[in-house]
Amino acid sequence: MKRTMIVLIVLLAVAGLAFAGGKKESASKAGSTVSHEELVSAAKAEGELNIYTFTSRGSKVGELFENKYGIKTNVTQLGDSAMITRVTAEAKADVAGADLVFAQDSGRVLTELFDTGYLTEYITDELSAVVPDQFESPLVYDLNIKAFIFNSEQPVNVTNVWQLTEPAWKNRIQLKNPQSESVGMNFFVMLTKPEWAEKLERAYKSLYGRDLVLTTPNAGYEFIKALMANAVLGKSDTTICEAVGTKGQAQQLAGLFTINKLRTAHDKNLALEIGYDMVPFSGFMYPIYTGITKNSKHPNAARLFTEFAFTEEGWKPMDTLGDNSPILGSSEDTHSLDYWQKNLVIEDPVWIAAHRYEVEEFVNALI
Amino acid sequence: MKLTFKLKSFFRKPQNIILFVVCVVLGYLTLFPLYSMLRDTLTAHVSEARRLGVKAGSMTWDHWKRILFDKNSRTVFYRPLVNSLVTSTAACVISIVFGGIFAWFITRTDLKWKKTLSSLFIFPYIMPSWTLALAWLNLFKNSLVGGSDGLFTAITGVATPNWFAYGAFPISVVTGLHYAPFAYIMIGGILRNADSNLEEAADLLGTTRWRRLWKITIPMIAPAIFSTFLLVFSSAMSSFAVPSFLGLPVRYQVLTMQLYRTLDGVSPGQGYAIALLMILISVGVLAFNQRITNSRRNFTTVTGKSGGVSLVCLKRSRGVLSAVFLGLILLVSVFPLFTFALESLIIHPGDYRPSNFTLDFWISRDNTARLTTGEPGLLLNPALWAALWNSVKLSVTCALAAGTLGFLAGYAIVRGRGTRLAKAVDSLAFFPYLMPAMAFSAIYLSMFSVRHLFLPSLYGTFFILALIGTVKYMPFASRSGINSMMQLSGQIEEAGEIIGIGWWRRMTRLVVPIQKSSFVSGYLLPFISCMRELSLFVLLCTPQNRVLTTLLYYYNEKGWSQYSNGLNLLIVIIVIVVNWTVNKTTGASIDKGIGG
Repeated sequence: MKRTMIVLIVLLAVAGLAFAGGKKESASKAGSTVSHEELVSAAKAEGELNIYTFTSRGSKVGELFENKYGIKTNVTQLGDSAMITRVTAEAKADVAGADLVFAQDSGRVLTELFDTGYLTEYITDELSAVVPDQFESPLVYDLNIKAFIFNSEQPVNVTNVWQLTEPAWKNRIQLKNPQSESVGMNFFVMLTKPEWAEKLERAYKSLYGRDLVLTTPNAGYEFIKALMANAVLGKSDTTICEAVGTKGQAQQLAGLFTINKLRTAHDKNLALEIGYDMVPFSGFMYPIYTGITKNSKHPNAARLFTEFAFTEEGWKPMDTLGDNSPILGSSEDTHSLDYWQKNLVIEDPVWIAAHRYEVEEFVNALI
Repeated sequence: MKLTFKLKSFFRKPQNIILFVVCVVLGYLTLFPLYSMLRDTLTAHVSEARRLGVKAGSMTWDHWKRILFDKNSRTVFYRPLVNSLVTSTAACVISIVFGGIFAWFITRTDLKWKKTLSSLFIFPYIMPSWTLALAWLNLFKNSLVGGSDGLFTAITGVATPNWFAYGAFPISVVTGLHYAPFAYIMIGGILRNADSNLEEAADLLGTTRWRRLWKITIPMIAPAIFSTFLLVFSSAMSSFAVPSFLGLPVRYQVLTMQLYRTLDGVSPGQGYAIALLMILISVGVLAFNQRITNSRRNFTTVTGKSGGVSLVCLKRSRGVLSAVFLGLILLVSVFPLFTFALESLIIHPGDYRPSNFTLDFWISRDNTARLTTGEPGLLLNPALWAALWNSVKLSVTCALAAGTLGFLAGYAIVRGRGTRLAKAVDSLAFFPYLMPAMAFSAIYLSMFSVRHLFLPSLYGTFFILALIGTVKYMPFASRSGINSMMQLSGQIEEAGEIIGIGWWRRMTRLVVPIQKSSFVSGYLLPFISCMRELSLFVLLCTPQNRVLTTLLYYYNEKGWSQYSNGLNLLIVIIVIVVNWTVNKTTGASIDKGIGG
């Protein structure tokens, strides 16, 4: 049974890759047939553009685009699931809705929106030349970072993630409820992937000098179980950030939240420090994909916007700590995207799509 | 020949026409979604197909099996179910006791400041329930969740125990307080209108006070208590925000948390199964409620004959009791508003020095300097004004539609009481209330985004919002209609009928004027509920028709506490102003009540 499952998963993964790869080619071909000027005039003729995006800053990008090209741009911010539900409903009914989508939750976006053909990525040859290969299919617009962040009034002594599972850290590590945020759940799913489970196993041995005794399928599950036993679950990154960073607390607290919160730490009088270089990871990174909808009524405007979003000009409103363009990185970050790629767990949509359910059931039983 | 005659005589009665039309329309708008939901519990959805090893859209029993007979069923269903039942029942008890006692004092004693107290008492219902949960956390949170201490600990130095700060206890209390206005409105409505002849008669015969309470007052208000129980219970069962705010720190899970996780995630089939089971439980409560109301046919309290309520004199305790009520109500109703106002004025949360205060979050053009990303102050924010206009438009539309339909349905149900059709409409009209909002809107989204029977695609239209709001909140109006019509003796209308007054004039000249305040109240409750509804609209709103609560939720998610607090305050103020205006112009108000 287990073996057939594994075979099935591998087959599906291969099929998924082949499928995604095949689509990419056709999309880039479609993009390269028209010149930029032709695209601009075709987009202007359409006159309007509707965007669904994961972030409020999307509307800033929309304004810039509207000012530059005179195309009326409506930007709607949506939660992960509402996004998928609505894009699916619109595509199925073939009604006017979103033309262009920026969405997180890689596993679901890949299987439910790209694999179904409701979304197609648009990559020009120019873009393809600069976007690293692993971020091309589906096309990654933004890479968000969540890391272990500590109250910095006391020195940060945690260098290995297993330390956070020790009795001394009981109720001192805060996580956003993984039930209410897909990217948090996806992080857990990634930890059960053999690659990361092995890294966790080695990290355990290097810290304690003995082998990890398994009570669950692998070291990834074991870590999730131990971390959840110590964790206090929170509603939002903002509240966790404030709880962790408030000065004058008796105990040092830590949290796993977006490093973007460090921008306002000083203004809010919070003491916060990122746990850089932790073994085997300091946190996780998740992609935001972009694609044009099947039912788009303004496909040229959507293409033009995609090109614009990847320029320095279009990226500017997004360019903050914690948001990394796959081309431009983040100018506010002292660490490069390259550094982060080595120190964070990065979402693998195919693995997540195949294993989200079982890990979610496992995590659910711990809450 | 016989059949046509039967049909003719059937449709000669106006109540039968109303019953028939309402039955068809509501059947389509509620039973069809229910059927879709049932089908969804047996379908492999796109996100489930891969792991189930079947094609998306094919039939499967897996969802039911996982919910009910799996090793994970305990964490997915049974434990959350028990928690939901416990907190919902406790919330009912709290709201009925608190609201009922208050109703009795307001209607039957010479308590001071009645008008003020009565208006203030309904405030908690106007606020989105989760804001009350936030207020609880601000007051009582302890070091478990980290950060600064709650106000209570900061002042007294006493750390609150976990059971008090989080979990079942605060969930029940906050939900109970939020819905206590229901109890007050329902019970108060009956107490206000029922003349106290019966009670006085008992007094004259020398009954003791307790015996009078048990034998006369409570039986008289029993239908209102059951109605309240039904309303509060199903609302509490399907409430998500309060338990998720207060339960999370101690991992106290209720059914809606599992409902949202599954519906919002990769196992929607299980989500719909949970939703269906929740509906089933509420239907059980509804059936119980109907058995009781049907077995007792006569609650007529408005007879058109002489009546009057003589007030119990509180004597020496009047001042003390009045002060106690005022204190309690100020704490529950006004204090949160005060904190909302305060929090919307400070730059860094938790710092109350004068230098930390600003009006920027209300009136600045561009807030780049103040931590947020250039969001204009609330009063100068075009997004807010657009959302406000939409919210008002939507709430007024829903209120008018739901109020009118509900009142007519209530009238027809009572006049046709005993017939099978009336019973069916009675259940149908109440049914939408039992549907968890999130599942209901998900179904409407999939049903109406494509052409459906005679309706074109409604996706992204204002109409679909108005439709779902009307259907969802019609139960308030139909309950109100039923309660007030039950009180109104049929003899009054019969008198009109005998002297040959037509149905339209009977309605406009007799029935509506007599029950005017409850008639108008039937519009107010849908209005208020719409104004502060979030989960019903969040899936169906498009940028062109965003409403205030989606904006509020957005600010809250962003952690822009100044904006979310300010907007919350605005919503409450708008509803209060509307209620006040309606009260001044028509004499009705929600605190005067359903069935009053």
